Amino acid sequence: MNTLSKRLLKTTSNTLISLVVVAVLWLFSLWALDVTPYIGKNPIDVFNFLFNSETAAENRTLIFSALNQTMLDASIGFGFGMLFATLVSVLFTLSKGIEQALMPIAMLLRSVPLIAMAPIIILIFGRAELTVAVMGAIVVLFPALVNIVFGLRSVTPAMYDLAKVYGANKLTILRTVAFPSSLPSFFAAVKISVPGAITGALLVEWLATGSGIGYGIVSAVGRAKANEVWAYVVVITLVSILLYNIVALIEESVLARFGFAASNS
Amino acid sequence: MSSKSKGLRGRISTLTAALALSALALTGCAPAEEAADYGELNIQLSWIKNSEFSGAYFAVENGYYTEAGFSKVNLIAGPAATEAEVLSGNALVGIANPISTAPVILNEDAPLKIIGTTYQKNPFTILSLKEGANIATIDDLIGKRIGVQAGPNETLFDALLKANGIDASKVTKVPVQYDPAPLVNREVDGFLAYVTNESFVVEDQGYEVTNLLFADNGLPFVTESFVVTQESIDTKREALKAFLKATIRGWKDAIADPDGGADLALNTYGKDLNLNADKEYYQSKTQNEILVQTEETAANGLFTISDEMIALNLATLKSAGYTITADQLFDMSLLAEVYEENPDLKG
Repeated sequence: MNTLSKRLLKTTSNTLISLVVVAVLWLFSLWALDVTPYIGKNPIDVFNFLFNSETAAENRTLIFSALNQTMLDASIGFGFGMLFATLVSVLFTLSKGIEQALMPIAMLLRSVPLIAMAPIIILIFGRAELTVAVMGAIVVLFPALVNIVFGLRSVTPAMYDLAKVYGANKLTILRTVAFPSSLPSFFAAVKISVPGAITGALLVEWLATGSGIGYGIVSAVGRAKANEVWAYVVVITLVSILLYNIVALIEESVLARFGFAASNS
Repeated sequence: MSSKSKGLRGRISTLTAALALSALALTGCAPAEEAADYGELNIQLSWIKNSEFSGAYFAVENGYYTEAGFSKVNLIAGPAATEAEVLSGNALVGIANPISTAPVILNEDAPLKIIGTTYQKNPFTILSLKEGANIATIDDLIGKRIGVQAGPNETLFDALLKANGIDASKVTKVPVQYDPAPLVNREVDGFLAYVTNESFVVEDQGYEVTNLLFADNGLPFVTESFVVTQESIDTKREALKAFLKATIRGWKDAIADPDGGADLALNTYGKDLNLNADKEYYQSKTQNEILVQTEETAANGLFTISDEMIALNLATLKSAGYTITADQLFDMSLLAEVYEENPDLKG
């Protein structure tokens, strides 16, 4: 309990530090780049837009329903991406042949910019949830895959031999030795994938579905609705920072439980 | 953006200006006749570089902007956030229309003004395929998926629905870019377009098309209008007038030579866009005949907006839910001065 509250305290202070840094960068950029106040809004403008203007309630509905949509899209992408990454990593660990056959495809998905593939993906999968899942998964898959494979391979020869001596087969070794020892890499993958999934969701909303924050920002920029643009950016940034720190908190607790030294994140 | 600007950009641009001045002094290549030097001119176009802007191409090619005192002209292709580009100072002039500009003035307190217009009528349409959704009347829109380009065109589409009393939730807006391909491959039922542009392109591909014209459905308004900030009007009045003068000269050339205007789009400005040649020649000719030139411009010169036309635009805006006065949206005094100082431009 004591350690948990310590960790909570650390996470909260980390989150606060991130927020302060972002706010300082925000104000500094507005000042240094001499942005006109019609385009460059400051934190107070955004606060007023959301909580302290005649249309504040409408504005909140607009911004938060878009945020909900984006979170939904991001979770779909995250879920599919992590699921595939984990499954494929297990296959890769079990068989070198499969890895050699499939890795180039994963590389290809990674190296062709998603924005270039988008029209084809939209033509094949339409403009609904399926495309959200596919595009989100593509963003999440590769970095997660590389990390998880690395983690599963991090079993030391000594541990491998020990398990073998006790009569374990490949699957048992994977379950009892490789999975636990891959946990730090797995969490590293999750930490990369959370912001990745949000980026993927924004992209798919902009290019395909026309809903959520990804489209809202493009649309509002195009119509010079500066306050709305900044409000979108603020909420999505806050949520990203928050989610990242929550994952970090879970990571520390789980790793501590499994006896890993807490990673410095 | 004030003259006492302390920002980095202010500092950098002062430095650049100083360097440019000293370079001019060193090489001694200051303009021979006119002393006016307005620096670089950035124009934010409303669309890709096709025949729509043939007047501007002529003005660049024939050196009218240089003669008017601009050192360099950058035509920035759209579709873009025109009003935001103008507000941020990235472009001195943006090409937009009253329907997209008025909400920015009203909702964001943005000091923007329209100082002239290229098209006296607007060619906006909801384009559909005859054998597809065949959207011929405004009620046909209900339940359809319409491709609308993000940004100012969304405001136009919202205005079309509002002016005709259609609940926005009954029509699905789908994000598209400038290419009407999503209409042809049936991703959308309708596509926001120009009747002089995409409508012709799709027809040229062998499809029968149906057009639902904005002008016939409660939204007659001018377009391809020049949007600037009030600050520019106050502090760069001469530069704006120089822009208007040079652009009028360019459009007079474009009217005299519509094929030449299309050629400039095809071979120079929009060279890498793979433009449809038939369409460019058609658009260049048609826009000159029915959109750029009217009785009004014959009498009072290109780009003018008559008081009746202003009233019509304000009424259109009102039906779309935007109540704005003429003084808030238009400032025609610069153009009037240009014609006063250059009466020969009218003919």
